[in-house]
This record gives sequence, C-alpha cells and structure tokens, in this order.
Amino acid sequence: MAKIDADPLKKAASDAAPRITIGRVLGEWRQLGIVAALLVTVLVFTLIDRDFFSGYNFVNIILQASITAILAIAETFVIITAGIDLSIGSALALSATVSGLLLLGGFSFPIVILGSLAAGAASGLLNGLIITVTRITPFVVTLGTMSIFSGLALIISGGQTVYGVPPGFSDLLAGAIWHIPTPIVIALLVLVASALVMKTTKLGEYMIAIGGAREVARLAGINVAVFTAAAYVISSMLAAVGGMVTVARLGAADPTLGQDLLLPAVAAAVMGGADLQGGEGSMLGAVIGALLIATLQAGLTFLNVQSFYQQVAIGVVIILALLFNRLQKGRA
Amino acid sequence: MANRDAAPFLTLKGVSKSFPGVKALQDVSIELYPGEIHALMGENGAGKSTLLKIMFGAYVADHGSLELEGKHAILGSPAHALAQGISMVHQEVSLVPQLSAIQNIVLGREQSVAGIIDWKAARTEALAALRRLDFPASPYVPVGRLSVAQQQLVELARALAVDAKVIILDEPTASLSSRESDRLFEILRDLRGAGHALVYVSHRLAEVFDLADRATVLRDGQLVGTVLRGPDLTEKTLIRMMVGRGLDDFANLPTRQPGEVILEVKDLTRQGAFQDVSFDVRRGEIVGMAGMVGAGRTEVARCIVSADKADAGTVRAKGSDLPLRSPSDSVKAGIAFLTEDRKHQGLALHMSLAINATLARTPSRFGFINRRRQRQDARESLARVSARMPVTRLAGQLSGGNQQKVVLAKWLLTDSEIFIFDEPTRGIDVGAKAEIYALMRELADKGAGILMISSEMPELLRMSDRILVMREGRLVGEMGRSEASEERVVSYSSGGEKTWQK
Repeated sequence: MAKIDADPLKKAASDAAPRITIGRVLGEWRQLGIVAALLVTVLVFTLIDRDFFSGYNFVNIILQASITAILAIAETFVIITAGIDLSIGSALALSATVSGLLLLGGFSFPIVILGSLAAGAASGLLNGLIITVTRITPFVVTLGTMSIFSGLALIISGGQTVYGVPPGFSDLLAGAIWHIPTPIVIALLVLVASALVMKTTKLGEYMIAIGGAREVARLAGINVAVFTAAAYVISSMLAAVGGMVTVARLGAADPTLGQDLLLPAVAAAVMGGADLQGGEGSMLGAVIGALLIATLQAGLTFLNVQSFYQQVAIGVVIILALLFNRLQKGRA
Repeated sequence: MANRDAAPFLTLKGVSKSFPGVKALQDVSIELYPGEIHALMGENGAGKSTLLKIMFGAYVADHGSLELEGKHAILGSPAHALAQGISMVHQEVSLVPQLSAIQNIVLGREQSVAGIIDWKAARTEALAALRRLDFPASPYVPVGRLSVAQQQLVELARALAVDAKVIILDEPTASLSSRESDRLFEILRDLRGAGHALVYVSHRLAEVFDLADRATVLRDGQLVGTVLRGPDLTEKTLIRMMVGRGLDDFANLPTRQPGEVILEVKDLTRQGAFQDVSFDVRRGEIVGMAGMVGAGRTEVARCIVSADKADAGTVRAKGSDLPLRSPSDSVKAGIAFLTEDRKHQGLALHMSLAINATLARTPSRFGFINRRRQRQDARESLARVSARMPVTRLAGQLSGGNQQKVVLAKWLLTDSEIFIFDEPTRGIDVGAKAEIYALMRELADKGAGILMISSEMPELLRMSDRILVMREGRLVGEMGRSEASEERVVSYSSGGEKTWQK
C-alpha cells in the first residue's frame, strides 16, 4: 500500500496521546494508585516516628527491595502472557547454588555469571517446554518445577550452605558504584531493559498479544509457543540475576533460599498492574510494588512490631492495594 | 457493480467438507469478482460458516479446489490466507483488547530491526488505513476501550493495511446500531468502488437488498443458487431458496386444547440483550421460539430462570411471581432449564449417571447422601425417559441423545412442570431426536408447559402448538400451529416486509 501522508490524523492523535501506545499512559495511570499507596505508607510511618524519614533509611529500603523488584519484573513478564511462575524462588535458589559451587571451584567471575545464568535459562526452558508442549496450566507446571528446582539445589549442594564466596564477588555484585549500592544499580538496569523490551520489541508486543488474546495472536501468524516459552526463560534468568546478587550480599549460597521470595514477587507484580488474566503489566509498577512491600517491612521493624504481626499487616496491605487496582480498573 | 469482464479473484469449485456425522458442505462452487459485494445467505446451519472458514484457510476442504486469480492454491492457515490477500472481519471482534488500533493493525507483520519494532513505519501504515475509513477514535488507546463499531473498523483497517483483495464480513452488523450500520455500508460501498471483493454474510434481508450485487444461497450444506441484483433478487425468491420446499408432512397433527397459563412472562428486559418480551405458556402446550442466532432467545430463557439478571419485567410461574434472584428460586418454582450446551451447563461429564440424574435433588439426611436411594431414584427417573443403562456409567461416555435424556431425567426428579428446552436436539442423531420429541409431547400431555427454543425449522413446525419469533431482542411475531409456515417464520425473523406480518 502506498504510504499516504497521514498528517491530519497523526496530529489529532498526538494531542490525545504522546507516543507509541496508551499502554504507557494506562500504565502510568495504574501506577498512580500504587505510588499513592507508597507515599501514604511513608507518610504514616513518618508521622508515627520522625526518624523514619532519613536518607539512610530509604537507601536501605531500596536495597532491601532490589531483589524483590527483579523477581517482580520477572514475574510480570510471565503474567503478561497469562501465565504464572511459582518456581521463581526455587529457580533463584538453584542458580544461586550453582554460582556458589562454581565460585568454590575457583572459576573466573564471567564463567560463574554465565554458569548461573545458564542454570536459570535451563530452568525457564524446562517450564516453557512443559507448558507449551503438554499445555498443562502454568500454575500446575511451575508448582511441580518449584519442587524440582529446590530439590536439585539441595542435591548439588549436599544440603549444605555453600560458604567461602570470594570477597571479590561480593564487591562486584554487592558493592557500590558511585556510592550507589550495586544491587540497586542492577535492579535499575533490569527495569530499564525490561521496560524497553515491552515497549519496543516484537518479543514484548507478542507477549502482550498472547496474554491478551491467544487465538488472535495465533491467527496473526505469531508463534505462540516460542514467545510463551521465552517469558519463562526470561523469568528464570532474572531469578538467576537475583540469586547471584543474593549470594554476593550474603557471602554464601543457601540452597533453601527463595522460599519466602515468591509471595512478595507475585504481590508486587500484581499490585504494580500485572493482570493475572494476561495482556497487561507494568515493569515500573512491579518495582514500585516491591518498594511498597520493603517499606512496610522496614517501617514495621523500625517501630519494633513483631514479625508475626508484620506478616499480617503486609497481607492486609497487599489485598487493599489490589482492591484499589480493581476499583480503578472498573472505573476505567 | 461487479465488473463482468474481470476474471474472478477467488474461485471455489465443488468444495465439500464433512465433520464426524455431518456433511457440512457438499459440492459448493462460488466465484468472487473484484469490485462486488457478494451476499452469502442461508439459515442457521446451512454451511455458511464452514464455507467462510475454507475461504479464510481455517479449514481445508475434503474435496474440491480453490483458485486464486485463476491459479490453483491451497490455503493452509489464516495467516497464509492473509498473505494471499484474503482477510476476514469476524462476527466476534478478534483483536487484542490491550493493544492500540495501530498495534492491532500491524500485529504479526511488524517491520523490525533486530527484534526492535519500527513504530514509525507501523504508524504510517496503520494511520493510512484508518484514514481511509475516517476512523473516529484515537488510534493510540487500547481497542478494548472502543465501541464495537470502532473495533470493527480497526479490523477492516487491518484488512486494508494488508491490501486484502477479498474481505469476508461475517454478520458485521449483528451488534451495531442502525446509524453505525449505515456508516459501515458507506465504507463497504467505497471499498467495492476501490475494487475489493467483499463477501457479506447477514441474516437481514433488508441489508442484502441494499448492498449486494449478487446473493448466493446455501441450504443444508448445498448450493441452492446465485441471484444477480435485478428483478430476480426479491425477498420471495431469497426466502424460498433459503427455506426449500414446503413441509406439509407435519401439518396434519391434531391440535390440542391447552389448559391454564402456567408460565407468564411480562415486559421482561435485559439491557443490551432483549426488550419488553411478553408471552405465556399454558399447561399441555409446547410453545416454539424461533429466531436467528443472536436474536436474544437464549438470553430470555436465562433471565426467566435467573441465570442472568433481568433489568425489568416479571415472571409468574403457576400464578406466583418469581423473585428473579437466583437460579435456585426458579428450580423451587418448578422450572427446568435444559441448556443448549449440555456438555458444560447440563451435565457433569466425569460423574456417574446416578449423580447427574439426582443433582438437582440429591436424597440426603443431615447432609449425608443416601447412596442407595440415589441410585434407585436415578434408575426410576432414567426409566421414565426410557434410558435403560447402568447408573454407574459416566455421563461423558454417552451419546448426545442419551445425554439429553439424562438431563431430562434430572429435571423430572424435581417435579418440574415448566420446561425450557434450548435447542433440544442439537448434535443428536435422527433416531434419538424422535425419542426426545416423544418425551416432550408426553410431558406436555401430562400437563407440563414447554417453551422450546429452536433454530431447526422442521422441529419448530412439527412440535410447536404456537410459535413465537424473536428478532434483534424483540418478540416480533406469534402464530398458531395452523397459520405457521416456514416462510412466515423466516420472514419474521429476518425482518421481512410488513405485508408478511399479521
């Protein structure tokens, strides 16, 4: 078809929305709710105790949130395709253990990083293959692989925490770059890269299409299996990134890591705007969700609230945030 | 007007397609010329959808050939058909609701470098197509937020963007307002002028007279004929072609004397589905409800049993108003609803017949199920519908006819006296059909009132004491057995001339 100059419509449309997609506008709109929740939380803690409002405290909170943020982004990729990855915490444990063992074996850092990422990629590929070939629902498949991956982590480590991580590795991934803690930098890089994938690449576009209307995507000639599996590979590779950062921070690789990471990751993703029905999700929203959870944990600890009560409080806030999203969506 | 000198763009020759137990299409041939609007007509189940799907590559024909611009071709998939210039606007909108118009138009065909989409090219291409249609909404918002009419324009724009030579429209006006339809017709005429071949499927005769250059009629999977625009393209011709010969063999059944009113529906309305539907059903009577797919018949039934909420109106069963709150109220009031979709809404396929037959009334004491009585009840009830088989069998193992009997047995156990059958014999073979008919008649003779929604003309004419006809959410006609004819039902349900109405 001839490229007709489409100026009038383009002009009219650019008044309505800035660029590319409303996906971004809608994302920002959706993030409003969670940003508000975050600000209110900070405000409440500050009102209760002035000392809460300090730069030191905030850097700590962001540092605490960085792993959850990476996992929440990973989970968002999968949820956008109308799936879910319950194995993400176990995949983190497995690739963390792999990196710990490689470090202990004296391999160079690039090899360690590649090895850990490869373990993550393999985990994700297994999820993706089972889901696309057998067409068993992702919930059940990743429930199964959750057990498989944590079992494997225990097997290769002999059930023991792997100690003796060289200080250099901790400096590399858990040090600081221009005074910013490296985990925060890594989480930021993951965020930017993921947002770009969603906005600018076929991969991102097709994951939305598959999650939003699988049959439409198939009829448009999109290879649904490949792009669905890709989401799980990305998810587990990001889990591997989170795993290595954890190892660097702790100076050890614990094969039982990651059990507690699944809930905050899914909660942050969904609070950030990921629709469990598929087709929608925001990387920035997921990160803000992770920040909200970390802020709650830090604030309640700061106020000396017992951890048992913390769990209840966090659960309540997650449900409230989701309720807010639901109402917001109903209105839109 | 079709250009007679031009060669046909798409030719189907002697196409047949069978599904297990059904010959969906037999030896159908059709030609599509550039610059024509070709209406495809036929009753429900005449084979229109199958034919469309073959044109669009979703089905491959068992026999026959397909030619594109005179050359033999095989369309293996919709994506392949699209690449060959054949595009389809589906009856149900098929877009990704979360993506914008622009994203949907280029979906699957994005120009990209190293996986990164060239959005500038995408915008240029999509906006050009949208501009040809005077697209009235923002091309940047997710299409899920647009109206159905606007979404349809996006689908059309997608067809234009791939420069489709054939555009298939499957009942495009089914969910449009009349103003939106008029606008669509203008666009379709423009496209015809631009040399596209348009296949237009619609149940509305008025639209066909308005738009079509030619009309091809299918009946029972066979080609009845193609009529050119002109003196031959009249309502009478089309209806006769769609309906076929008369069905006198059913006419001489005795007329019964119906009893008191057992179900009374008054001004029932559900926004967006149907408005102001009023009718009654008497004891001993089978009332047929005719209409095209989408006319709102099933929706009315679902509101009567409170499966959906009615916005206005009342339903009286055996003289008392129903609260219209939840299906359990209507079960208590003795209304049985035998759904069209037995496999999902009528039966638990992986459970035994004993459980299925007693599902609406499980014999129990203090919450514990009396298994022995359950089996006994099931056996007795199944015997009443002459389905003699072990009650331990799973419902999923039965044929369609026997499944329908089990559903009926379930409702018999609840002592229901009002029965609503939605397509009672869909997917049931001929022998079992007769048995189901006999059971229905027997129920009515014993004093039950029956509402039978059906799209099968012989079934309606043979079984009904009265026939109600719905069109576009309204009750548009009613006729007694003696005045009922296939022509009259079809003309009511497709919105024929005033003179056809009584």
